[in-house]
Amino acid sequence: MKNIDSYTHTRGESIYLDDVPLTQGTLFGAIFGSPAAHGKIKKLDLSAAMASEGVVRIFTWKDIPGVNQIGGIVPDEPLFAEDIVDFNGMPVAFVVATSVEHAQAAIKKIIIEIDPLTVVTDPRVARQNNSLIVPPRTFRLGDSDAAFKDCVHVVEGIAETNGQEHLYIETQGAYALPQEHGAIKVISSTQGPTAVQRHMAKVLGVPMHQLEIDVTRLGGGFGGKEDQATSWAIFCALAAYHLKKPVKYSLHRMEDMRMTGKRNPYSSDFRIGLDAELNILAYEATFHQNAGAAADLSPAVLERTLFHCTNSYFIPNVTATAYSCRTNLPPNTAFRGFGGPQGMFVIEAAIAKAAEKIGVSAFEIQQKNLIKSGDEFPYGQLAVSEALPCWNRSLSLFDHAKKKKEIEKFNAENILYKKGMSMMPICFGISFTKILMNQARALVHVYMDGSVNVSTGAVEMGQGVNTKMLQVASTIFSIDPAKVKMNSTSTFRVANTSPSAASATADLNGKAVQIACNNILDRMKTVAADILKCSATEVSIKNEIVHVNDAATEISWDFLVLESYLRRISLSESGHYATPDIHFDASKEKGHPFAYHVYGTAITEVTVDCLRGTYKIDAVNVVHDFGTTMNALIDRGQIEGGIVQGIGWMTMEEIVYDEAGRLRSNTLSTYKVPDIYSVPQMLEIDFLETKNDNLAIFRSKAVGEPPLMYGIGTFFALRNAVKAFNPKSSIGFSAPMTPEKVLMGLYDK
Amino acid sequence: MERKQSFSRRFFLKTTSFAGALALIPPKAKALYTELKQRLIPTKEIMPLTVTINKKAYEVKADSRTTLLDLLRENLHLTGTKKGCDHGQCGACTVHIDGQRVLSCLTLAVMTTGKNVTTIEGLADGDKLHPMQQAFIECDGFQCGYCTPGQIMSAVACVNEGHTRSVAEIKEFMSGNLCRCGAYNGIVESIQKVAI
Ligand code: FES
Ligand code: FES
Repeated sequence: MKNIDSYTHTRGESIYLDDVPLTQGTLFGAIFGSPAAHGKIKKLDLSAAMASEGVVRIFTWKDIPGVNQIGGIVPDEPLFAEDIVDFNGMPVAFVVATSVEHAQAAIKKIIIEIDPLTVVTDPRVARQNNSLIVPPRTFRLGDSDAAFKDCVHVVEGIAETNGQEHLYIETQGAYALPQEHGAIKVISSTQGPTAVQRHMAKVLGVPMHQLEIDVTRLGGGFGGKEDQATSWAIFCALAAYHLKKPVKYSLHRMEDMRMTGKRNPYSSDFRIGLDAELNILAYEATFHQNAGAAADLSPAVLERTLFHCTNSYFIPNVTATAYSCRTNLPPNTAFRGFGGPQGMFVIEAAIAKAAEKIGVSAFEIQQKNLIKSGDEFPYGQLAVSEALPCWNRSLSLFDHAKKKKEIEKFNAENILYKKGMSMMPICFGISFTKILMNQARALVHVYMDGSVNVSTGAVEMGQGVNTKMLQVASTIFSIDPAKVKMNSTSTFRVANTSPSAASATADLNGKAVQIACNNILDRMKTVAADILKCSATEVSIKNEIVHVNDAATEISWDFLVLESYLRRISLSESGHYATPDIHFDASKEKGHPFAYHVYGTAITEVTVDCLRGTYKIDAVNVVHDFGTTMNALIDRGQIEGGIVQGIGWMTMEEIVYDEAGRLRSNTLSTYKVPDIYSVPQMLEIDFLETKNDNLAIFRSKAVGEPPLMYGIGTFFALRNAVKAFNPKSSIGFSAPMTPEKVLMGLYDK
Repeated sequence: MERKQSFSRRFFLKTTSFAGALALIPPKAKALYTELKQRLIPTKEIMPLTVTINKKAYEVKADSRTTLLDLLRENLHLTGTKKGCDHGQCGACTVHIDGQRVLSCLTLAVMTTGKNVTTIEGLADGDKLHPMQQAFIECDGFQCGYCTPGQIMSAVACVNEGHTRSVAEIKEFMSGNLCRCGAYNGIVESIQKVAI
């Protein structure tokens, strides 16, 4: 089934935040962000700005009726700076004016004086200073200390990954509309409407029931609008609360890039030990996560780094420790993969380095150690593994042996161009690692004319979740999809939602829709049984016709709906779903946190121009474990898009902060994201259909985040090509592998 | 009047980006620069504007500094054209002027006097989609849809310009339109489909 927004998307009729028609009297806001990354505010002079044309009012922390705090996991993030600024761009004042231009002009007239404090941008320095967001965590399996003594090969090193700017093409923003009795409706570009509502209630000092957060759709999120969307919504709501006027703020791209956090950069140490047969016996990793100035989601991101620190491999002895380090950067946050990719990169680096030292190919070590069903992950869950089927199928389907020979031949015959290839197996756990978040609700109404209206907590941001929700309802009822309408995501229709994240949105909300629909259907079947003088268990509905024992009757869906209504049977239901069987004990760091895992293998081939350091990606061929896909079209799009984003992270997307903590890569001209050239020349995706029972909706496994990690393969393919040109190159493990780094690696002595 | 119309948005950006270098400049030169800037950047001036948009004639008054993008979105409520960067770097705001594609965020509204502007809203013929819109649906040329209006306007121009002889050529002439969702393969396919 096509994306249900196809028609409006292609006609420019889809409504995003910035397209909502403005209510009369709407005012416009803009944030004045700290010009310094760390310091004490000595003076803040708003008088000139206040006198500026069109300015209605300027808000600071002093105007907050409730608490000046928006930290979700740790209460360490003020909405407005009070006397200390912790990062460049930290909100200090919110100017509200009669036009965007006036608000922006007034910002330039604000005078601030800041006594500078030491700026830290390096997570390792922060760790030395003991400046941590939360206490470090360690995942342990077996006894790595003892196991290292039995290893024939022990290799250690450093692996680093840079951050990643989300660069959703729709920037952040919100539009707050005061309602009667002190309520406020906020149209927000957020992945987490409930998070916005919860923090807004605290800041404004009002109950949550006064605040409706409504989301039609996002022009991309990728994790960047999970926690980071909250502040803009609250600024607007705060102004609307005081002024009793609608207030809108839609960020300019440069404001968005400067003031919002990104994917957490990591700097990690690894140590890996193998026996003579290349079995990995022991692995130690120490992760230094650059959290930025506040916790935001970093502690949860950190946790997922640990969950995925052994990727798709079984290693009997593991000690992995992770530090969430406080620095003077904007609070870093969720980004597709949520710490998983950062952890996987390190184990892949360790394997690559070990292979080099031993004199074998990484391929052999990878293949030898793939996780099998029944093997234990470092967090105690036992694998139900599709790692080998994916790996083996990719080898045969994409003719790995032949490709390898061709590449060897090409490299022997060419001096100025070298090819490289890599294998990238992935394993990604599905569920929020915070167990309580694995719940969802859906509200389903069947109207008396037979049409259906579905509301869930899922936010549509391009991942096609609304299409999948609609499919669930139309499949359960067995009615024409055109009879079902998806509603916007509103905290007044569905309460206490989890954010659309963790790849779990379709599963959680889909199951809630399924439950709601089934409950309504059960009641309708009782009505049908009464009419047809049979038992309700004999009744089914197929293509809008009531069947008894699989034989069609004269009764249609529409008739049965109306009849149920006339008999005063409820045609509405709120379905509630909580993922069963998952648990995790953080005091032991053991449990069964994931509903299931998604597996896959990517084979990446690249060609490096050894004169210039430039490269092209010839092919990324993937075998991906879909379970039983419920929408192949949408899932394919997710995989392609995820791979392109992963390649971007690994190759060209380079975030640069200077020592003063200023973002230098602050526009699209200084921060390069994949364009149409960056897509691999060949991109094949094979759907591995697995029949293992899983907790996915219609057994269609989650597909949002896992494919991003295939992009890691590009880094290693490039590195292999560099090594083919210059085997002595000491090129390390520092992503992104920009053409500059490739060039340095090629001519490294 | 003629002269002022020819100031492009790019010009503003260049002058303002000098500001960063200001710290290094001696005070005397700074004063000179400030004066120069004041003389060069036109101040607010409301100008009448007659323009045809999607076959409909509009007579509006616009600030001489307003971009075509803002005119479309803010003044005329044609919100199909999207703002992704406002700096000519993403392509989301692509529209056609007299059949040629332009970035509406880099075009001053007053420069379109007497011209024919086509936006995404003007592409379909009533309920009947333009072949490129149809192709984007069939080939899955989008995910979140935010870049899509710009992509489609660029794609239509790409075909009209005849830049579709190979995948490489399509890519070259579509490289100004970013899609963060990474729907690029579907976009190329859509163009190939219409070009045949
Ligand atoms: S908005 Fe015009 S190019 Fe980005
Ligand atoms: S479809 Fe989302 S940016 Fe292109």
